[in-house]
Amino acid sequence: MTHPIVARALAEARNKLREDEALSLLKAYGIPVPDFAAVKGEEEAVEAAEQIGYPVAVKIISPQIIHKTDVGGVVLGVADAQGVREACRKLGEVLKRVPYAELEGILIQKMVPRGVELIAGALYDEIFGHVILFGLGGIYTELYRDVAMRLVPLTEQDAWEVVREVRAYRLLTGFRGLPPRDTAAVVDILTKFSRLLVDNPEIREADLNPIIALEEGRGAYVVDARFML
Amino acid sequence: MISKLLDPQSVALVGASPKPGTVGYVILENLVTRFRGAVYPVNPKYDEVELWGRKLKFYKSVSEIDATVDVVVVATPAPTVPSIVEEAGRRGIPAAVVISSGFAEAGNQELEQRLASAARQYGVRLLGPNCIGVYNAFSNFDTLFLPLDRAGRPPPGPLALISQSGAVAAAIMDWAARRGIGLGLVVNYGNKADVTEVELIEHFAADDRIRVITIYLEGFKYRGEAAKFLNAVRKTVPKKPVVVYKAGRGRAAQRAVRSHTAAMAGTYEMYKGLFSQAGALEASSVREMFDMAKALATQPIPRGPRALVVSDSGGMAIQAVDALEALGLEVPEVPESIARELKRELLPFAAVSNPIDVTGSATDQHYKVVLDALLPTAFFDMALVITLMQVPGLTKNLAEYIIDSRRYGKPIAVVNFGGSELVQRFEEVLEDSGIPVYPTPERAAKALWALYKYGEIRRRL
Repeated sequence: MTHPIVARALAEARNKLREDEALSLLKAYGIPVPDFAAVKGEEEAVEAAEQIGYPVAVKIISPQIIHKTDVGGVVLGVADAQGVREACRKLGEVLKRVPYAELEGILIQKMVPRGVELIAGALYDEIFGHVILFGLGGIYTELYRDVAMRLVPLTEQDAWEVVREVRAYRLLTGFRGLPPRDTAAVVDILTKFSRLLVDNPEIREADLNPIIALEEGRGAYVVDARFML
Repeated sequence: MISKLLDPQSVALVGASPKPGTVGYVILENLVTRFRGAVYPVNPKYDEVELWGRKLKFYKSVSEIDATVDVVVVATPAPTVPSIVEEAGRRGIPAAVVISSGFAEAGNQELEQRLASAARQYGVRLLGPNCIGVYNAFSNFDTLFLPLDRAGRPPPGPLALISQSGAVAAAIMDWAARRGIGLGLVVNYGNKADVTEVELIEHFAADDRIRVITIYLEGFKYRGEAAKFLNAVRKTVPKKPVVVYKAGRGRAAQRAVRSHTAAMAGTYEMYKGLFSQAGALEASSVREMFDMAKALATQPIPRGPRALVVSDSGGMAIQAVDALEALGLEVPEVPESIARELKRELLPFAAVSNPIDVTGSATDQHYKVVLDALLPTAFFDMALVITLMQVPGLTKNLAEYIIDSRRYGKPIAVVNFGGSELVQRFEEVLEDSGIPVYPTPERAAKALWALYKYGEIRRRL
């Protein structure tokens, strides 16, 4: 059953979910995302940040901007109200540089501690149906093409196999004195992501990027998500 | 009714021809001279022709045949095919192999549509069009239009090949025939207007003559096909291994780069993921596919990854260890107590840990000592035996010792290399007794890996 968030976007003839919609959709499927709020102005932003608790990330919500970081649409590690105000002003500047972009809102998001950055994504292919891709995050994925793919639906075992198949798996098990990561939480995200895709066949492409895997027992969080319909 | 396609008792050949050099002649010759079943040539141009020392009655049409026909093989110009299949259907013939080309592959989608609906309407199971069809070594049902002197036919045996390419299938058959590889059933499905690889996999899964299914795949073409393949293979692998080689690994470069996922996902990665998800063993070449298949058809599944390496050449032994370890298999040391015992029985300069080097001065007996001392123990799960027969102490008796050690119930792969008659004879004896032989340590290691991996897949299910 198509989720109301996806259904609404389709009804509005949008081919992309807004940042906050994407996070809400993940949350609806039990996929952990850091606390967040979508707000309109500076004062609301400060209020939301106080409630969520510092440090926070402040991100632009704009239907025209696909890679927020590339245009300076993300301010990380904001520690206080003053910082939130400054960040909001900075996002305003972005619009001057990207003439066609509209500012639909501001996303305030709890900062997640450092961890191993992973990526999960999905594509819809006529012959294969939905396929899920998994790999190490950041530039390395594209550099080494160290990715594994599986057809949806993924069983829990499929999810474990996809995680073990990438060479970067060593980073999750504890490499050179780095602590082992919560791989079970990553596997859980993948199986829930699979369920999300089964329910929402209208999704053509998705990126959960990055997924931050914390130390064993402390979970894993999807920090940013993009859904194309 | 796939069984009527692959194992018919009687066949009608429409487009049969007494003119040497034509497709209709080659197929007719194959069927008349070798097929263990009834053959009915159909061609309105002829009544009775004497061919290969016998009088052959030609029929005007399939309706005229006054006997049960299991399958009709059609080798006539494309435009005539739909009505022939229709007539066969009306006549109650349950299966058709359409060799003729000139359908969707030539841009004639409409004609192919007509053919497919004619088959559907009368419940005729259709292989092709545009295919070389079926080779069945058990009954010599052979629809290949390739003359025997150009394309060898392999002996009956436990391997089945499903090939998307007709030319590749024929080349594999020729190659397998030369090496005595038992390729019992080969099917090329051409444009797959009806029967697809998925159904063929399901059929071979249930065929007791087949122990390993090999698949040469270029790419799927129908919506949702990957999921059907996944289910069919998943259901098959608990019964028998499926080995697949996917040709054409290039990326779909045209895909617009919109997301990270789209940028990184090539079509090949999707196939690769599909194969692992399904539990198929993926080969990186046709040769490797049969290297694996040969071992999978003859050897037991190992309980674990620990390999014993015994060799009369230290150099070859080291290569074997490298190859095994690179594949994730283990080459553990021989326990001290057994090593001491081996030290007494082998030559003083032999290496008695693993790999075991019986040296170039070895005799057959030395191999026997090693295999009997180590294969029955719980320390090893499989053996890679290197026998460079060029050294003076080895004789063909060594083959008997290796064959004897099958009784320990563990997989064995032999590396044998060279061209002398002794080498060839030795190899034949081993292979005839179900011990796979490879020319290099890498290839033997990959075959052992396939056995181990198949065991893992089975345990997972």
